Amino acid sequence: MKRIVKALTAVVLTGAVVYILYSSFRSRDNSSEDDMVIYSGIGSKIASLDPGNIGDTSSSAVASQIFECLYDYHYLKRPYQLIPKLAEDMPKVDEDRIVYTIKIKKGVYFTDDFCFDGRRRELIAEDFVYSWKRLANIKYLSRNWWIFDGRIKGLDDFREYTKSCKSMDEVDYSRPVEGLKVLDKYTLRITLTKPWPQILYLLAHLPTAPVAKEAVNYYGKSIINHPIGTGPFVLKKWNRGSYIEMVLNEGFRDEFYPSQGQEMDIKNGYLADAGKKLPFADRLFFMLIEEDPPMWFLFLQGKLDASAIPKDNFQQAIQEGQNLSEELVEKGVELKTYRNPSTYWIGFNMEDPVLGKNKPLRQAIACCIDKKHYIDLFTNNRAEMAQGFIPPLMKSYDPEITERGFHCDIERGKKLVEQAKQLNKGMLPVLTLAMPSTDVVARQYGQFYKKSFKEIGLELEIDYMDWPTYLEKMHRKDLQMFQSGWIADYPDAENFLQLFYGKNVSPGPNSFNYINAEFDKLYEEASVMPDTPERTKLYRQAQEMIIEDCPAVFLLHGVAFTLHHSWVENYKPNTFQQGLSKFRRINVEKRRAYKY
Amino acid sequence: MTDLSRTIENTHKPVKGRSLWTDGIRRLRKKKLVMICFWIIMFYVFIAGYVQIAEWTGSNWPANWDESTGQKYESPNSQNIFGTDIFGYSILRKVLYSTKISLKVAFFASILSIVIGVPMGAAAGYFGGFIDEVVVWIYSTLSSIPYILLILAFALVLKDKTIFGCKLAGATTVYLAIGLTSWVGICRLIRGEIIKRKESEYILAARAMGCSGGRIIFKHLLPNTFHIVIISFSLRFMSFIHAEVILSFLGLGEKNKPSWGAMIDSARLDLPKGYWWEMAAATMAIFFISLALNIFGDALRDCLDPKLKTD
Repeated sequence: MKRIVKALTAVVLTGAVVYILYSSFRSRDNSSEDDMVIYSGIGSKIASLDPGNIGDTSSSAVASQIFECLYDYHYLKRPYQLIPKLAEDMPKVDEDRIVYTIKIKKGVYFTDDFCFDGRRRELIAEDFVYSWKRLANIKYLSRNWWIFDGRIKGLDDFREYTKSCKSMDEVDYSRPVEGLKVLDKYTLRITLTKPWPQILYLLAHLPTAPVAKEAVNYYGKSIINHPIGTGPFVLKKWNRGSYIEMVLNEGFRDEFYPSQGQEMDIKNGYLADAGKKLPFADRLFFMLIEEDPPMWFLFLQGKLDASAIPKDNFQQAIQEGQNLSEELVEKGVELKTYRNPSTYWIGFNMEDPVLGKNKPLRQAIACCIDKKHYIDLFTNNRAEMAQGFIPPLMKSYDPEITERGFHCDIERGKKLVEQAKQLNKGMLPVLTLAMPSTDVVARQYGQFYKKSFKEIGLELEIDYMDWPTYLEKMHRKDLQMFQSGWIADYPDAENFLQLFYGKNVSPGPNSFNYINAEFDKLYEEASVMPDTPERTKLYRQAQEMIIEDCPAVFLLHGVAFTLHHSWVENYKPNTFQQGLSKFRRINVEKRRAYKY
Repeated sequence: MTDLSRTIENTHKPVKGRSLWTDGIRRLRKKKLVMICFWIIMFYVFIAGYVQIAEWTGSNWPANWDESTGQKYESPNSQNIFGTDIFGYSILRKVLYSTKISLKVAFFASILSIVIGVPMGAAAGYFGGFIDEVVVWIYSTLSSIPYILLILAFALVLKDKTIFGCKLAGATTVYLAIGLTSWVGICRLIRGEIIKRKESEYILAARAMGCSGGRIIFKHLLPNTFHIVIISFSLRFMSFIHAEVILSFLGLGEKNKPSWGAMIDSARLDLPKGYWWEMAAATMAIFFISLALNIFGDALRDCLDPKLKTD
């Protein structure tokens, strides 16, 4: 008996040793095949790969390699320009700008999957109707319903109907919706409730990507783990908490690298692959790295192709003058800087009895903030001073605005404070600024503001709070002043204008609770206009109105810095477009030659 | 003969009796290191007091920690001997101001823990029975929760609350959170000591004379166990300074004013950039007071505890 036990133990141990050796050799083999792989880091766990319910940037970055939308942004052209993707062409719009007729590309297929019973499944117009009705289904609890809320005729009624259904399975998707019609297999007609020129930007937004009904029915709730899209890559392995691996979609249609771009694109080598078939990479690896230091070290070791610059490593990466440090230049690292469609500000609650009725006080505060110093202290000079809310990235940005607005002027601020005191009929009370965090950086911001306010004779108290408390107080209009900002969802300044629209007051996006009938009239007129010089004029006019009324002190517009290794080619940053991996090419020789 | 009589006279010269405290102080004075530590502690107390008075009287230095004294991130130099921070504020002034915050928090937290712990321990030890069971149950429950987590929970609950019309914020929240959670140790010690002493002859005599329980506790038992309170105070004072540092580091302490914890938290971001002086100044300040309190507390225990008395 003992002999048998001994023999069995020996067999098990030998088997274990052989398995370990085999695994290690196999993984080595894999690593040698890794040449045409793009390695990316993601900073937070993937919540879902179901586009209808995606709300975070990490999930979007991954899912956008698999799913596609009707439209997309041109990879190279600036200002950002929409081009057809799953659509055959740009839509035909009627004179009233209410009815959009969209032709779908023929010969686009979902990736092969069990749910299609072994048949190739072509994308048809009905898939869009199904996917958007699914967003409206209240039982689905999509966080992206805001996209279509009140926009498409009959879709809100469909949402009301789903409230009466007991479960998701009971919802009848064949129920007609007036504004979503399938004219033929490849033609879709959308009827809006009122003109909405921004619809095209939203049709380039990942949550509006089509999903196949068969896949949703087959996988049920676990559809979040089984993304079946039409994009260039398919999910191979999702090791939760570790990595996601994608491989080339063998059935991907013929799509080609753009042949046109900006003038500088030829010089920068972005057009070297013009007209070549996409994608270039065979595999994608998304590694979950939640902390900045490992992300940075993996990048330096060449195990990640690109990385943002962690705040703590900024000095190591960037020299004075915003150039790449010699150490990184020697390693062949390249720096890309680009503008973010963002604006940050100190907002005033216009319903506050002290600030709301005291314009000189608000303007005085606008005069006391030294924005240049602020940008130097807190952003490593990775920002541009803001005088208005429209960021320089937008077409409607007014370049002359830098001359206007409120600049740091302590003397003017002091005079305005005197006026504010007269208006207040006495001394001004201690003001309170809410910060949406309690960490050390927030405390540093707080100290900066206190010091700035003190210079014009105002006393400031900082109320540090966690994010949920901050949001709750903001929605209840409980904050007097707050530090906040906005990153545009699409390249249209309307996205910023709506933040000051009277009907959007808290709990809506107008946290300033700013109400101005004249501004509202301008907004209502401009927001339904197509992109014309007249609209740009109205946008700028609205912005001037805001600068004068001063419901916020605009601080800065963000500028992003990103690094990539020289072996990653065609690395042109794009703020709005997603699913960019298909454009990237890996120079295998350069990667092999890299030494840490 | 004369010599002998002198010897007899000297032998009968009355020797002045020494109380526990006099004896303790005499022993402490003999130890040089302990006296150095004592003067270090006094120096910190003096700084804290000076800053507090400067604030009350509106004097500038060093209460005006929020005034720039140089450029941002100046390394230690003749004008700013500990350098400057991101805003050009003097690190020296911040360290001095933080001394007030930390010592104030540690002092009030110690007082609060004694005010809660001593009467509860005394009552539990003297009366026993149901009262003892309740007190033991409460402190056993509290001590089963990890200390830092308990303080964090209390600090989060107390933060921004209004009690009797006063809004709890900053240092008040911190010393309430520390004081309300750290009375367990002193309570246990006092309970044990009272149990030991309540059957002593002088207590039996007091009881025979008809003294009430309260009188026996406060008049006879507590004065005889007070050295435990003092020793515990000195040793816990240091741990309360550390607790304040931890809370401030985690963003639950004083936010609008500097404290050692907040300085370390802030310096954490500056270290990778090579700006070490804020971190160095705050940790040195904590190091010296911790070391001094530790050595002094240990010596105090040695001198006041009859079992450990060695000369």
